[in-house]
Amino acid sequence: MGNEKQVLEIPYGTRDYLPGEATGKRAIETQLARLFALWGYDEVVTPTIEYLDTLTMDSGRGLSPQLFKLFDKGGRTLALRHEMTTPIARVVGSRLKDAPLPLKLSYISSVFRSEQSQMGRQCEFYQAGVELIGSASAAADAEVLALSIQSLLRSGLKKFQVCLGQVEFAAGIMEQYRISEDDQQTLKDALEQHDLVAYDAAIDELPLAAAAKKNLRQLPVLSGGEEVLTKAYGLALGEKSRRALDNLSAVYRLLAAYGVERFVRFDLGLIRDFSYYTGMVFEVYTAGLGFPLAGGGRYDHMLSDFGCACPATGFALGIERVLLALERQGIGAPAQAKDVFVAYAAGKEAEAVNRASSLRSEGKVAELALMPMTKEDAAAAQREKGYAALVYLG
Amino acid sequence: MQTSDSEYLTVALPKGKLFGLSADLFQKIGYTAEGLSDKSRKLIITNEEKKIRFIVSKTADVPTYVEYGAADIGVIGKDVLMESQKDVYELLDLGFGKCHLMMAVHRPDKRPTLMDYAHTRVATKFPHIAEQFFNEHGMQMEYIKLNGSIELGPIVGLSESIVDIVETGTTLRENDLEEIAYIMDATARLIANRVSFKLKFDRIHQMVEDLRQVLESEEQ
Repeated sequence: MGNEKQVLEIPYGTRDYLPGEATGKRAIETQLARLFALWGYDEVVTPTIEYLDTLTMDSGRGLSPQLFKLFDKGGRTLALRHEMTTPIARVVGSRLKDAPLPLKLSYISSVFRSEQSQMGRQCEFYQAGVELIGSASAAADAEVLALSIQSLLRSGLKKFQVCLGQVEFAAGIMEQYRISEDDQQTLKDALEQHDLVAYDAAIDELPLAAAAKKNLRQLPVLSGGEEVLTKAYGLALGEKSRRALDNLSAVYRLLAAYGVERFVRFDLGLIRDFSYYTGMVFEVYTAGLGFPLAGGGRYDHMLSDFGCACPATGFALGIERVLLALERQGIGAPAQAKDVFVAYAAGKEAEAVNRASSLRSEGKVAELALMPMTKEDAAAAQREKGYAALVYLG
Repeated sequence: MQTSDSEYLTVALPKGKLFGLSADLFQKIGYTAEGLSDKSRKLIITNEEKKIRFIVSKTADVPTYVEYGAADIGVIGKDVLMESQKDVYELLDLGFGKCHLMMAVHRPDKRPTLMDYAHTRVATKFPHIAEQFFNEHGMQMEYIKLNGSIELGPIVGLSESIVDIVETGTTLRENDLEEIAYIMDATARLIANRVSFKLKFDRIHQMVEDLRQVLESEEQ
């Protein structure tokens, strides 16, 4: 008995998608796959397991504890992929290294993290996203952002907000005040951890003029519409932070051309990860979901770890989170219609098969009964299975 | 109510000693609600006019409500926040609820140095913080998670030491315990959900500035 119970359990952080749930997930994946293809992105599929060394290449990110690990026959450590950007970088650095740039790649895959489950994120969860490799231009950043917005719209979401930042802006501001490397690291760690108390306390300790400290304190709260850029130009004394702002205004102008700028708000305190991102970064939020729906940014150094030094930008969205947001906002995931139940009396099997086939060729969802039945039983079966109509061949 | 409404600002306050101080502080910036008390049987108290809603919850649950976005903002001690390891914005040090985390041992059995406690048992409500502290000292310990009356541990022989918060030190003295290592200071913090801080930025930012002003004027 105890044994039987164990057989029915599933591991922590995993889930089954039952009929209905799986339909909603598949419908969104189909929409996204179609959308990515329309924008000229080619899908890639990479192995679920990779060498641990490959996934932790851009080390120092303390990734290892998050990964599910196992050993191969030779004793090398393997890990389940925790995201898709690193495996794609490996592919680009090896088998696609002679492909003409820019490369536009997309994926829809499960990824794995052994951390505690969050809302809309189990240990195994599904991501869809793109990587645009080989261009450092604002046009590439804008394309990735516009495509992420279109992805959410195509999924059925209507209200969401994109917060757009640029990590080089904050880094440039810290450099312009000649803050020591160690102190910069302290400030960056505090920003990454969303700890504004530690950030303010670290600024208090710096040997800087009051005006400089005041400017630094503003960094995490530079948030709003286009006026924020003007304000930020006022703080930026160095080339680096000015270039970051130039990049953002160019991206914003292009987003207006795409007609999606209304979804975007500037947020120069948005950092995500200083050691990974090298340019624009963004996250997408929606009401009723305490976690970001999607996120992305520019990562120009990562591919050089795989022997292909070229700039790149991309985004990923959480499919379960989109499904959860649709449900919470009362929109619901696209459902598969069930059109016709085809049933028949004894001796009418061949006719019924033909009928079902012709309905299907018209694009109707048609289920064929597996044995002869009375018309009454057929009507009951139609209701039970949720078909809109009944065809009975008597 | 599954999640916080976009029109309302939902504030999670912890029961116990931080409750009264937090409620007073919010009142000073004009945020209050009729019947707001940690003795109230109502779990959600709303001020319709100000569009603010208070949730009164168990202390250790405040970071969870905020991380999930069931509350937009919350007040919580730095000790509990750090132990919870939740990803939330930490916006403001509210200054009150001051205490510190430390390691204490039973005075009669005191050993000469901290290192003499390596590989011993430590009773605590804060296993994550304790583990981080001992790791930094290169010490492996056996952690025993307790939920209250931590001081009892060494006295009844459950553990060789404790890691706990101390305000005045009276409880330690009364139980013949002695602090042998300081770990960190803790005060109450204003925290915000990652998404709420972005979607309700203007309102939360204004609240932080108002609170900061009140705190600074009280300091002077």
